[in-house]
Amino acid sequence: MKGQLSVKNAYCFLKERIGRSRLSTLAVAMVGQHGINLAVSLITSHFGDLVAVCPLLLLPSFSPLRPLRFLVVSRMQKICGCLLQRGTLSLQEIARATELSNPQVKNGLLVLIQHNCVQAFSVPRAAGAVKAVTQYMALFDNILHRMRFSKLLAIVREDLGAQCETLLEGLLQHGRLTFDQLVVRATSKKPEGRLTTPLDIMDETLSLEKQAMRAAALSDAERFSEIMSTGTEDSDVKTEDKQDVSVGAKRKFEVLEMDEEVQATITENEVLWRANFPKFVHCLKKKVCVENVRSRMGLDAGVVLEAIIESSDEAKDNSVKASIDCILEAVRGKPGGISMTLEHIRIVLDQLGCSSSTEDCNVFYTMELQSIIESCQNDEVESLVLTRYGKEAYRIFRLLIRKGSLVETDQISDITFVEKKTAQAILYKLWNDDFLYMQKVISIGTGQMQHFLWKVEKDSVWELVLNHMYHAALNLNLKIAHIVEQEHEVRQAQEKREQLRKSRMILELSLLKLDDALMVFHNF
Amino acid sequence: MSRLPPLPQKRPHPDSQAQPPSLSEPERKLYELIKSRTNMGIWTADMKKETGLQNNVVTKSLKLLQNKNLIKDVVNVHNKGRKYYMAVEFEPSKEVSGGSWYADGNLDTDFINILRRMCVKHIEERKVATIEDVWKAIVASRVLKVECSMQQILEIVRALALDKEIEELKSTGVGEFSNVQAGKICYRSLRGNQVARAGYLSTIPCGVCPRISECTPDGVISPKTCVYYNKWLKLDF
Repeated sequence: MKGQLSVKNAYCFLKERIGRSRLSTLAVAMVGQHGINLAVSLITSHFGDLVAVCPLLLLPSFSPLRPLRFLVVSRMQKICGCLLQRGTLSLQEIARATELSNPQVKNGLLVLIQHNCVQAFSVPRAAGAVKAVTQYMALFDNILHRMRFSKLLAIVREDLGAQCETLLEGLLQHGRLTFDQLVVRATSKKPEGRLTTPLDIMDETLSLEKQAMRAAALSDAERFSEIMSTGTEDSDVKTEDKQDVSVGAKRKFEVLEMDEEVQATITENEVLWRANFPKFVHCLKKKVCVENVRSRMGLDAGVVLEAIIESSDEAKDNSVKASIDCILEAVRGKPGGISMTLEHIRIVLDQLGCSSSTEDCNVFYTMELQSIIESCQNDEVESLVLTRYGKEAYRIFRLLIRKGSLVETDQISDITFVEKKTAQAILYKLWNDDFLYMQKVISIGTGQMQHFLWKVEKDSVWELVLNHMYHAALNLNLKIAHIVEQEHEVRQAQEKREQLRKSRMILELSLLKLDDALMVFHNF
Repeated sequence: MSRLPPLPQKRPHPDSQAQPPSLSEPERKLYELIKSRTNMGIWTADMKKETGLQNNVVTKSLKLLQNKNLIKDVVNVHNKGRKYYMAVEFEPSKEVSGGSWYADGNLDTDFINILRRMCVKHIEERKVATIEDVWKAIVASRVLKVECSMQQILEIVRALALDKEIEELKSTGVGEFSNVQAGKICYRSLRGNQVARAGYLSTIPCGVCPRISECTPDGVISPKTCVYYNKWLKLDF
């Protein structure tokens, strides 16, 4: 609830301070064009699948009616693209921008809201005006989370077991569900009785619910009490979030109007459950940080870091804090941690750069994850420079990252043992591709001499790399879709089909890995 | 009365301010100009400009001055094609010669590579070593015919750290650092322990694609038709 309210408050605050039009521009600027393209592509491919019950969508690619498929899918694409490009808009504004009718936009928005891809909220029209305006805002991060559902399911499977995975699968597939729907879906999926009674599920999932979903569910209940249900944004009727999910079945795109029976089951105060993405981001962050530390500092350091992250409450500003007792207990619970003595743990904590403090006779250790995340970011960009420009460029780039300030060409050449002419050429190439910032200085001594100073401006380089990653992820998605189409076309040729299947697996694996890197730059 | 020209070995000590007696006017002009530039030297074109002498006069005079062992030509690392001259009593400055790692205007890569290998070997042997340890080990090995300062070894070791062949860290004084005083900078080998991790973006064609800026979903260059992708995935149909 806190999170959602803060989004709203932040929006209102920004709107007051900088005005509506600039706020929209800000939203676009923060994401970047390739990021928007990727998000729109994800919506297109995912909701293409979701609305697969529509006969048009099942047509083979060679069918003359195939182009009609895009009429259905492109509606979602248009709405989502429009919100991402233009920022927050009202229903009327979306209809005008997308040239769709109001009911079409409304239906599209309902699907997107159901899947947590769009956030709706009321904004008072003006001082003294009674009616409020409902605004819709695309949630870029949530759209991108659709790309990593398999990872989220794997986390729950590993940490909490298969039953919880089934529950989460339902939430990811349907966006948000009532508790009853969750139970029915889970039990119908496992009729052999692994999930025996709803109470068992509740018990077993309590830790998950507690840790990952409670806050989100509460926020939903409040959040959607403000959403206008009718097509006209001036309506002041408050309703619950509309549901068109018949449990265990695919959603029907064209039958978005709710089944009355289903609607009756959802009372105004019904709690809707959904995946708590920030918690998952935290879990993925832990995984990335532990892996990085393990590879750099050894297994013990990895165990201790995992223990301190798990013992602390959720990281605030990438800072984790836990008492030595909790850390010790967590370390002992890990494979490879049982043999570690308290003294050894303390040494590892010092090596990790943790700072200690004493509160109420307890020693607490604080660890800044930011330094590990920065190290991961540096690794990614440096590796890109190594592959694209070679070993000498890699050395020069690493020097400039470490220095963090302007360095003169000759000095760079001397420190990195690169021939002066070669160094100049490399620096120019890196500067030309926006990896470096250059400053020209003229010194007046025996004669006028030009000196070139170079620097890595992290913010702009990181943004450049992130945009490059969005573009690469989009391309991987498109290539995967293209290969899937080809697989259908060569159904008869077994050998070609096998080759395509292998290629698709390589691409999918690469996308998962690339997404890890993308999260290091965008989410952590 | 004829006077024998003084032989080069009989000329006055270079530090002496006395002018060489047998210099013609153009030679004297050029010599003074070259000497005034001390260890920076001067380019022939600049000499012509500053003295206003004819091309052939300058060339001839420079040759004579060189024969008299008063000047020498030096290679400027910044402009290897240009002829620079300097008075014999000066050694080329770092700006002209490129520093101690340069020989005849070129980076002495063979020497640098030998030193790099030696540094890595000694650090690997000791697991964790300070710069003094590495320097002493290299001096004690007596492999090098020339003397090497600790500063030079430090420069090599720092470059190795930039290559992620070794890492620079602060000693904790315990465990593997027990031989190094706590808080002191030391070096540890990264070979076998950690190699430069392949970045995820650089492992896919898009990461290193020279045409990425022209690539669009439905353009002439697109992922669907990308030759780099097909080559990577070995899709030849």
